[in-house]
Amino acid sequence: MGVVKAFKALALAAALAAPAAAQAQDSKVIGVSIPAATHGWAGGMNYHAQEAVKRLEKTYPQLKFVLATAGDPGKQVSDIEDMMATRNIDALVVLPFESTPLTGPVKRVAEAGKWVTVVDRGLAEEGIEDLYVAGDNPGFGRVAGEFFRERMPSGGKIVVLRGIPTTIDNERVEAFRKAIEGSGIEIIGMEHGNWNRDSAFTVMQDFLSKHPKIDAVWASDDDMAVGVLEAINQAGRQDEMWVLGGAGMKEMIKRVMDGDKRVPANVTYPPAMIATAIEITALRFVSNAPVSGRFVIGSELITQENAQNFYFPDSPF
Amino acid sequence: MADATTTRQELRKPRRPAVNLHVVGPLVALAVLIVVGVLLNPNFLSYGNVTNVLARSAFIGIIAVGMTFVITSGGLDLSVGSMAAFIAGLMILVMNALVPTLGPGWPVILIGMAAALVFGFLAGLGNGLLITRARIEAFIVTLGSMGIFRSLITWLADGGTLSLNFQVRDVYRPVYYDGILGVSWPIIVFLVVAIAGEIAMRHTAFGRHCAAIGSNEQVARYSAVHVERVRLATYVMLGMLVGLATIMYVPRLGSASSATGVLWELEAIAAVIIGGTVLKGGFGRVWGTVVGVLILNLIQNILNLTDLVSPYLNGAIQGVIIVLAVVLQRQKKAL
Amino acid sequence: MAAPAASAAPIPAAAPVLALAGVGRAFGPVEVLFGIDFDLKPGEVHALIGENGAGKSTMMKIMAGYLAPTKGRVLLDGAPVAFSSSEEAEERGVVLIHQEFNLARQLSVEQNIFLGRELKRGPFLDHRAMRETTLALLAELETPVDPAAIVADISVPEKQMVEIAKALSRKARVIIMDEPTAVLTRKEAEVLFRQIERLRAAGTAILYTSHKLDEVARLADRVTVLRDGRHVVTAPRGALSEDAMAEAMVGRELSNLFPAKAEPASAAPVLTVENFSVEGFAEDVSFTLARGEVLGFAGLVGSGRTELMEGLVGLRPAHGAVRLAGRPVRIRSVEEARRAGIAYLTEDRKERGLLLNLAMRPNLTLLALSRFGRFLIDRKAEELALDKAIAEFDIRAPLREIPVGNLSGGNQQKLLLAKTMLADPDIVIIDEPTRGIDIGTKQQIYGFVQRLAAAGKSIILVSSEMAEIIGLATRVCVMRAGRLAGTLSGADINEDAIVRLAMGLEARRANGNG
Repeated sequence: MGVVKAFKALALAAALAAPAAAQAQDSKVIGVSIPAATHGWAGGMNYHAQEAVKRLEKTYPQLKFVLATAGDPGKQVSDIEDMMATRNIDALVVLPFESTPLTGPVKRVAEAGKWVTVVDRGLAEEGIEDLYVAGDNPGFGRVAGEFFRERMPSGGKIVVLRGIPTTIDNERVEAFRKAIEGSGIEIIGMEHGNWNRDSAFTVMQDFLSKHPKIDAVWASDDDMAVGVLEAINQAGRQDEMWVLGGAGMKEMIKRVMDGDKRVPANVTYPPAMIATAIEITALRFVSNAPVSGRFVIGSELITQENAQNFYFPDSPF
Repeated sequence: MADATTTRQELRKPRRPAVNLHVVGPLVALAVLIVVGVLLNPNFLSYGNVTNVLARSAFIGIIAVGMTFVITSGGLDLSVGSMAAFIAGLMILVMNALVPTLGPGWPVILIGMAAALVFGFLAGLGNGLLITRARIEAFIVTLGSMGIFRSLITWLADGGTLSLNFQVRDVYRPVYYDGILGVSWPIIVFLVVAIAGEIAMRHTAFGRHCAAIGSNEQVARYSAVHVERVRLATYVMLGMLVGLATIMYVPRLGSASSATGVLWELEAIAAVIIGGTVLKGGFGRVWGTVVGVLILNLIQNILNLTDLVSPYLNGAIQGVIIVLAVVLQRQKKAL
Repeated sequence: MAAPAASAAPIPAAAPVLALAGVGRAFGPVEVLFGIDFDLKPGEVHALIGENGAGKSTMMKIMAGYLAPTKGRVLLDGAPVAFSSSEEAEERGVVLIHQEFNLARQLSVEQNIFLGRELKRGPFLDHRAMRETTLALLAELETPVDPAAIVADISVPEKQMVEIAKALSRKARVIIMDEPTAVLTRKEAEVLFRQIERLRAAGTAILYTSHKLDEVARLADRVTVLRDGRHVVTAPRGALSEDAMAEAMVGRELSNLFPAKAEPASAAPVLTVENFSVEGFAEDVSFTLARGEVLGFAGLVGSGRTELMEGLVGLRPAHGAVRLAGRPVRIRSVEEARRAGIAYLTEDRKERGLLLNLAMRPNLTLLALSRFGRFLIDRKAEELALDKAIAEFDIRAPLREIPVGNLSGGNQQKLLLAKTMLADPDIVIIDEPTRGIDIGTKQQIYGFVQRLAAAGKSIILVSSEMAEIIGLATRVCVMRAGRLAGTLSGADINEDAIVRLAMGLEARRANGNG
């Protein structure tokens, strides 16, 4: 959290510090390529990207942005190729749909001498990007696991809903498992809910039919947590178990804030990281601030005590 | 001819072969799944699980009944999934907008329901008119509207999720979760739609005309069938059934997003085909579609209830059973 | 047996190129072919005749590798063969030309002729060589069709010629033709006959089926008759008269093919058509139809008869005055035509008349479905109607529930007739009622037509079969190039007069009251 705010402050400071230098430069084009808003987190990420672009275009008239959203990796590759061919971009901010298929096309952008910022998912080859801004997926799983460990000192039976089968999901679940190792917590069921409310609802319904006793659920995502909670309501087993989601959806944060017993905590994976990445990239062109490197935005545990700091009622997510 | 008289006598009574795989194929598949489910998990036939499976089958089921008519008359509608998401989104917006004036109560919900049916009617009419009047291939028209509806819901929801006003939701919730005598509303509605659909398909001129058009449009035209009108009616009916399914869907989670109804169109089409309706039209069977929907949902349910296979392979299992169910029916044609 | 028990005559001395020895075929429990012995020699035209359902098609399919026999053997050059597919048979020089053409409708003539064995230069298609070969083949067949034309756009006889060109391009030694002249006009048939003779002279063995016995008598070196799946007789040229052939096919003596004509009871017109035009097909046609009359419409294929009738029943955009019993009507759809009491029986029973994948019952009631219940269909009434139709029109089907596509052409035609009559029309327009139908069924259909007229229905009979028109119609309208060339009645109805009008040799004023 602190990291994001710090970058924003940095961006602002730099902008104020070097307005003359900025205006003297030619106009620059920054391409932004992100996955389409197919689930809550991606929707939030899209929102933050658009907001950042709007804000920056207003602040720095010499910057132009090209924003493209893609429904699949193939489309994203085409988007990037189009940006290179027809929009003559100076920099690319990309949140790769998947690492491997995007590595080659992004590498060609870098080889053409353009600035490359990679967000969230690393490329399959190291050293291509100038700037890497990412969430911490193993951290996301680890923080969740540690919370389970703390809440269930004497162990217990839990079920886990996983996301769409991807590296991200694997890293999270792997770290989660490691974190609860030896704690006496037993995972009695694990299925893919695909970060989707409806799928999570049906999967949870079936878990509830299958297991007479469940102490807690790691829904691993707030969209899935919505479906899980609804299924638990339907079965009338609200008092039996609690649910941990993730990614900081505002409704869930609100429940944490209000001390809802069934939703005791949340784990961050801020969709705003895209805004951070765009802002830092913009800095590269409007100031002399040193911006290259690697920034990992850690996953933090949100509890009732600190929930206030994470609650943004205006965000769509 | 010497055998003419005997032949005619044989013609008196319709004769049916003792076991016709084409007819019982889907039923056999369903029965096998149920037996497997019972053997693998004692909770399979519990009231809770049966209710869950039937209720979640209802959305796709209601849509698939409408799809049966579209496919039987030689058409196709790929837009139903995104149409459902779009209608759900509009319905939520309409209800949220009315809460300040009407307050969170049944009037708002009834208006929302009516809106869902009207939007469904209009969406189906749009598809149908483009197909019958502008004479564009159904595949292309509905592929286009699929993208349009999906984009519109994403835009309406600003990339996120549209949530129904919480107070309205509390009033509306029973429409999914409650029912009569322990049978929840979605199941009742699904049952009514299925029975009405079966009657319409087998016992009305509309159903007969659908089959005639799907079998050979020219013959239908030469036989005084209003081909365009019947076609249009199938798409409009499907649109309204999508609206009806949405009415059942919204109270479940009280939200709609761009992820709502993804791939419902394929599930509905798969259910129709598993049920024995011919993909290129000419023959349709509503009860088969109902069985098809149940088969699809049971597979998922059984896989969730057991740990037999890696969840990565769920799709493969589903695929194998779909193909098997259809192969069972086709065997007869080897003659 | 009525036919003389002539044995196979040693006409061409050569050894058979293709032969069947004791061939039988069963479909499930149903046997359709029993112990057939048959041979086909190089340089002969061998006609195979029989009623619909006699087993001709099955036999031809076995010879051409589409079906395997369940009993007996197929011999090619004296050695047993088992074609695994029609492709293999074609590879060995045996080609079947289908009645329903086996052409890819959306491909060009040239692409069709070389389909599956395209000429190539290296990895690429050799377009020029294929174009030249196609042009040469078509020129040989006297068919002036553009090799680049799409098959869907060319006429039926042209399609036939393309099929034949395709067979020729494959260097066929045996060509099996399934009723090649059924869809050809006389003139086109003549071209075909010349080609058949040329092929015969070149040593090709030709198996030929036709319901037109005069053609058979003229063309065939030998004739084989099948009946109910059994071999009846094989006789050399001249040994069987046309009558004898017909009797051998039917297995009984055929009395006069046509029932006695009856003049209509009253001359008052039930239908008056004036200055009726169907754009691009028929122009300015006027005629009248009386109650109980059979009005023939003759003319060449493509003279606009079918399109005129389709215009009358609202299937095509048309304009002109139509009066029913003096009352002006406007008919814009088949439904309106049905309500006005006019029914049209299409010439194309497979593509426009019947739903081939459905059973008889839904087919029978489709046109008149509104009579079987306002909302729910009364299935019992439908079954009764089917019982009645089966009895009245003598429809023979192995099972009530089988798809009508499995019925023979004659039974399909009877079902189509029953379907049309179920709508209880006053005016019935029948287009080519006996195309591709055996002689026994033809006779039955002629009987139906006459009975309908006697019962007070008015009938328009469109036919390319001269004998049919002459035998049934009391007046004949002859069309030529979209216009009414003339109307004949009484003793004026004869082949010569019709042909002269149809060919434009004699222009008479079109006169509705003839």
